[in-house]
Amino acid sequence: MRRRTFLTATAGVAGTALAGCITQTDDGNGGDDGDDVETLTTPESFEGELTVATYSAFVDSPSSSPGQWVKERFEEEFPDVTLNWKVAENGVNEYVQRAGRDASIDADVYLGLNVDDLVVADRELDDSLFMSSDVYELENGGAVKDDLRFDPQSRAIPYDTGYIALVYDENEVDEPTSLDDLTADPYDGTLLAQNAQDSDPGRAFMLWTVDGYGEDGYLDYWRDLVDNDVRISSSWSDSYDAYSQGERPMVVSYSTDQVYANRYDQDMSRHQVAFPNGQGYANPEGMAVFEASDSPALGFEFLDFVLSPAVQGEIAVRNVQLPATDHADLDSEFDEYALEPDETVMFDYETLSGSLDGWVSEWAREIAGN
Amino acid sequence: MSRTGRVAAALERHAVGAVAAAAAVTIALVFYLPVGIVLSEAATVVPGVPPRVSVAPLADVLTDEFYVGALAGVAADPLAVPRHAGNVAAWAGAVAAGDAGLPDFGLFGFTAYQALVSTAASLALGLPGAYVLARFEFPGRRTLRSLTILPFILPSVMVAIGFVATFGRRGVLNDALAALGLPPVDLIGSLAVVVVAHAFYNAPLVTRVTVAAWEGVDARAVETARSLGAGRRRAFLDVVVPQLLPAVLTGALLTFVFTFMTFPIVLALGGLELATVEVWVYALLRNLRYEEAAALAVLETAVSLALTYAYLRYEAAQAAGSRGANPPERVPLVPSARALLSPSRLAVMAYAAVAAFVFLGPILSMVWTSVAGPDGPTLAYYEFLVQRQVEGTAVQTKPWPAVRNSLTFALGALVVALPMGVAVALLTTREFRGRTVLGAIAMGPIAVSGIVTGVGLLLGPVFGIPLGGGYRLQVTGAMAIVAAHAVAAYPFVTRSVAPPLARLDPAMVESARALGASRARALLDVELPLVAAGVVAGAAFAFAISVGEFDSTVILAEGADSYTMPVAVERYRGRRLGPATAMGTVLLVVTSVSFVVIDRLGGRFEDG
Repeated sequence: MRRRTFLTATAGVAGTALAGCITQTDDGNGGDDGDDVETLTTPESFEGELTVATYSAFVDSPSSSPGQWVKERFEEEFPDVTLNWKVAENGVNEYVQRAGRDASIDADVYLGLNVDDLVVADRELDDSLFMSSDVYELENGGAVKDDLRFDPQSRAIPYDTGYIALVYDENEVDEPTSLDDLTADPYDGTLLAQNAQDSDPGRAFMLWTVDGYGEDGYLDYWRDLVDNDVRISSSWSDSYDAYSQGERPMVVSYSTDQVYANRYDQDMSRHQVAFPNGQGYANPEGMAVFEASDSPALGFEFLDFVLSPAVQGEIAVRNVQLPATDHADLDSEFDEYALEPDETVMFDYETLSGSLDGWVSEWAREIAGN
Repeated sequence: MSRTGRVAAALERHAVGAVAAAAAVTIALVFYLPVGIVLSEAATVVPGVPPRVSVAPLADVLTDEFYVGALAGVAADPLAVPRHAGNVAAWAGAVAAGDAGLPDFGLFGFTAYQALVSTAASLALGLPGAYVLARFEFPGRRTLRSLTILPFILPSVMVAIGFVATFGRRGVLNDALAALGLPPVDLIGSLAVVVVAHAFYNAPLVTRVTVAAWEGVDARAVETARSLGAGRRRAFLDVVVPQLLPAVLTGALLTFVFTFMTFPIVLALGGLELATVEVWVYALLRNLRYEEAAALAVLETAVSLALTYAYLRYEAAQAAGSRGANPPERVPLVPSARALLSPSRLAVMAYAAVAAFVFLGPILSMVWTSVAGPDGPTLAYYEFLVQRQVEGTAVQTKPWPAVRNSLTFALGALVVALPMGVAVALLTTREFRGRTVLGAIAMGPIAVSGIVTGVGLLLGPVFGIPLGGGYRLQVTGAMAIVAAHAVAAYPFVTRSVAPPLARLDPAMVESARALGASRARALLDVELPLVAAGVVAGAAFAFAISVGEFDSTVILAEGADSYTMPVAVERYRGRRLGPATAMGTVLLVVTSVSFVVIDRLGGRFEDG
């Protein structure tokens, strides 16, 4: 990939070319003390445009997606800046493809990265798509919960998280207490899961079983699940549609399900949340500044803004996810309905970068070969 | 002759050639180039003198049991014929002894199997419909005929929602079974429901092409056969069936190719357990695994192109001899209340009941979902559409621009695809060596997976094609969408126009030319009016394909400005079904009206 020079006057960057300084170490353990990291300094004032790419639900879901609110607040704080949202239909992969083909990357920040996205981007590209946040001081950076940080090179900063759990209809099934339960008779033909190849909750649920049964045992577990008539939809929406229509009484979904159900006065008995084994798989969403950004300092200001207490509280409520920081302003109603598991399961970047492809592809062949 | 007259005459002389050239450039730029970019990943050129082409990814797929099952061994060592023959003999012996079942042909085998079953189901559901529409007269017949194209444009997500509501655990079908005291059936997730959904999409296509052929049947030949002593059944088998067969086979071929490359319906109703080749291509491309995806797509394309080629050879053999259209009179469906009790009328009624359940059930269920709130009927989801229209921000999807864009793109695609399709039809109905090969290549957009085309568009024209010197050729925006839709649609125009064009008596064109008419003039004044029914059918297809297209529209609709109705339906999906189904209902109404208008306007053109 041809690096773009992003040392521009508007960014107010001190020192020499940053591009040569942010290095991606081969062991995937970069960002540590050994490197000479040049820092970006904050200019007196910001002006111009900031383009933030994201997935469509963040700006355009039928409910109250956070996009417009974030734009208005950000422009209030930076009166000479215009924030433009850009929807990337294929998520981060669109930018990975662009970088791989030397096409232009016309965005400064990507919002909505998860650890798998980073693994794929680093696998496909010789140079990092994103800049390390170590070059800029984020005032609110310290508030991010440590167990949600998923990028060893500190490029992606988490801004919210979902916990994958089971949502079930208590009128039809009892609460499953363990993953083992799901392969037993009472749960025969009850579960809707998603395709781990292409769906975030589907992949998280599969990884959870790898954690629970080991990489030598998870396929056996899935064979039992298939024998117990699990159904694998292509996307969370497909499976949730089927769940809403009473097709099956249990679906792999997010632990914040009741926040939404409560907002739209839905029957809470159909929106019970189960944490098998007392666990939930954490799926933090992160944001990062593109290496190709023309105004990286403003990009990092945006990251900092998103991590501030008021914005953390509002995004959590509007995006129906949990905040990634410990200082979010949240009302008690949200706390009551946004459930968190006793124990968090999550694979780190290093483990996934070596194993994810193999696990997913073995899993898919197991399911489709049946 | 005046100057402008001379220019007009020159234009007219070269019109057909110019349209054909423009069509070729468009097809190359928004179809063959993008598809080539993706498919070329399946082969790599190893540098050296001379350079060597490696097709390792293809070989990997062909020797992978997961993909081809029992054929993997054959592909690994194709020359070991005696050993393979021995294996087949051993297997045949085991089957005879009852020790073995059918061999497993992996993902390709399963994909072909479900396509075959789906094609059979589509013919079974579609052909009786063609019989009813062609042979009986009843109020609303023409409108019904127009609407047979409707399933083409319904986004698969809406069809899936409707199917779950109709055939699901708590669906209408199970309610009906319970009322009859029968046990419930669990269809969702089974091959059965996938096949019914494929029939939902494709049976109307079978009906449509067959009715068109039936309306071109020469009744005088039937009368002649009858007067020579043939019974009604005999006359039908010997005179009518041969005239319908090419159309029936067109419907069957298209259905097989579509269902061979199926993917959204399988995933939405069947789940990953019923994965097809296309499901795998999709997943691999989404995960940027180009080599393996391209290898799979190459094989998939080879299968559908081979079928298309075989069909075109057959069609060419059928086209010999010209026939004048002189269809038999339709008989009233309900001449009297008593006539309804005749066996043929009873059979029609039974068919109508099944068809109404399969076609109207899911559509009505979808519409019903758009007005069903948690506490009874509600207009809240339509209020949402109005509110989004009034208050929506720049980056949000609004309903009216979606309607406007859909209609504009569809009209644009129709205007571009009609000349393209006719030009290709003219070319491939001429006598020259290799015209069947050319015909098969021209049918490429039908035979290549939509996902491959979509990704190719992204990697090629959307990102820009490097031209050297820092310049990039980029194609985005409304023009690109119209071009992509037109390329997807023109093969349907060609397939609607080519068979009747091939049956025209060449002497008519020759006389017109001898009397001084240019080639374009002869086409406009002589040929096209005689194949008007085919042109109208092609126009309806072009419109429908444009309105229903999703994959490449999403990719080409850079920014928020050029989204269409199906894109809006997908974007309005969330934790509630309501907003998406309300937008889906809008799509249904707008396009139903459009089809009736196209068919009526087209009908006027046909009659006059």
